[in-house]
Amino acid sequence: MHRIIPAGENSIIIYFGDQIDPSLPEKIAFTANQLKQEFNHVIIDMIPSYISLHISYHLTKTTHQNFCQQVEKYLNQLKKSSIKPDSKLTQIPVYYHFDVGFDLARLLKEKQLNLENFINIHSSKIYQVYAIGFSPAFAFLASVDKKICAPRLATPRIKIPAGSLGIADSQTAIYPSASSGGWNIIGRTPLDLSLTHTENLKKFNIGDKVKFCSIGKDEYLANGGSL
Amino acid sequence: MTFKVIKPGYFSTIQDYGRWGYAGYGMSQSGAMDEHAYCWANKLLNNHFNDAVLEITFGGVQLIALVDTVVITTGADLNFTINNQTAPMWQNIKISNGDLLSWGMPKSGIRSYFSVKGGFDVAQSFNSKSVNLRENIGQKLMQGDELNCNAHQYSIHKMIPRHYIPNYNNHCQLRLLPTYQFDEFNSHQKKLLFNQTYRISPANDRTGCRLKGQPIILLKQSSISEGISYGCVEISNDGMPIILLKDSPTIGGYPKIGTVFSLDLALLAQQQTNAKVRFQAIDMATAQQKRAEFNIFFGIE
Repeated sequence: MHRIIPAGENSIIIYFGDQIDPSLPEKIAFTANQLKQEFNHVIIDMIPSYISLHISYHLTKTTHQNFCQQVEKYLNQLKKSSIKPDSKLTQIPVYYHFDVGFDLARLLKEKQLNLENFINIHSSKIYQVYAIGFSPAFAFLASVDKKICAPRLATPRIKIPAGSLGIADSQTAIYPSASSGGWNIIGRTPLDLSLTHTENLKKFNIGDKVKFCSIGKDEYLANGGSL
Repeated sequence: MTFKVIKPGYFSTIQDYGRWGYAGYGMSQSGAMDEHAYCWANKLLNNHFNDAVLEITFGGVQLIALVDTVVITTGADLNFTINNQTAPMWQNIKISNGDLLSWGMPKSGIRSYFSVKGGFDVAQSFNSKSVNLRENIGQKLMQGDELNCNAHQYSIHKMIPRHYIPNYNNHCQLRLLPTYQFDEFNSHQKKLLFNQTYRISPANDRTGCRLKGQPIILLKQSSISEGISYGCVEISNDGMPIILLKDSPTIGGYPKIGTVFSLDLALLAQQQTNAKVRFQAIDMATAQQKRAEFNIFFGIE
């Protein structure tokens, strides 16, 4: 099921459900790709996110009424064909340690876990990209095991170093660039995910899978990590 | 050939029509805040609609020309002078090597657009020359910066027809389209939005404009983050509307009561903190027709 709602004078938003559901990101990503091909000449931008797909279009080439009708018709046809997900798995090395995980000691205490347990719980799961936003290339991953979920900090930090790995409620994410933010920081990747390398902007897509692997201090430093 | 920055002003940045095609990866659209003034600044020089201009907020800017060319200033009246003589706005002007151009304090509006024939030749990032400080793309103008451009000869005088120059001191009426969760707000909440005069809070910048007024109490506070349209109106947890603008993040999770018609956002971009703002309704067909006419008039593709 889907619902098309106006979002602005040259944009619509398509809802694919009412609540967050692990089956939706791949479906939305697939639909976005199909729509992009079908309506390439009218579409300006598409923003897939959790349960919805936002589309902006050239209003000198179509109107709200026409575009909605065409999209509706296309989506109804699409439902009959099967969805072929095109997601990829990315592995990201992380140095989970008090040196770089500013909130790790507090979380271990709150959750009554030792470091090894905590790392196992966080790194054994394969996460899915549900949304990209907040800042460019910032991928919201879920779902974090209930045992280590943690609410955002009451007061956000002014500066979180690039590559930091955080938890907010049941979501986890890497900060690609240094920024302010309120997530609980549990580690850092030595990989440079910043936009200094422009190709990093498109590193993650909605529906992609991400797995973290724990590395030690030597490997972290040898791969360009800083303390 | 350049304009050299003697005084950078309070907040001056290079902007073009915006950064497109990357919203799905979290990149803001950026671009000039007042599209009306920006588009005239390029049109009157026969520039491309997407050429880069200098957006001067609150003034305080001094540039020295190291080039012979043609320029124009549109938008806010910031006491524009050339060699300490009051200079005309909204029309093309010949500039000679050594001329001193200044923008002082705001007399009307807050954002001035300074364009040169052929546009400023500055570095491009992700297909746009627009600076976005939130995304660490480019920097605001600094003393000693040099803004590159080409030399051009002055040919014919061009100016905007007078009646197209907005009066930024008029009360700001924002026409709102019913979008997103509009239908989920009850009639009392909608009445509150349309029947009060808001004031612009100090929290207003290129990212968004927060209003102050009687709060719209939310029944359901957070919703699931979704794609943002330029000008959409989020109601934050304290009941105050926030109008999301050019440098806004691409997704947001507050309930949205509508989306402001883009050409009214051009006027909003000229309002100071504490200015009065009211909402009124507009329908989709009218908004689309008006914006399509604007795009065609300015050659926006």
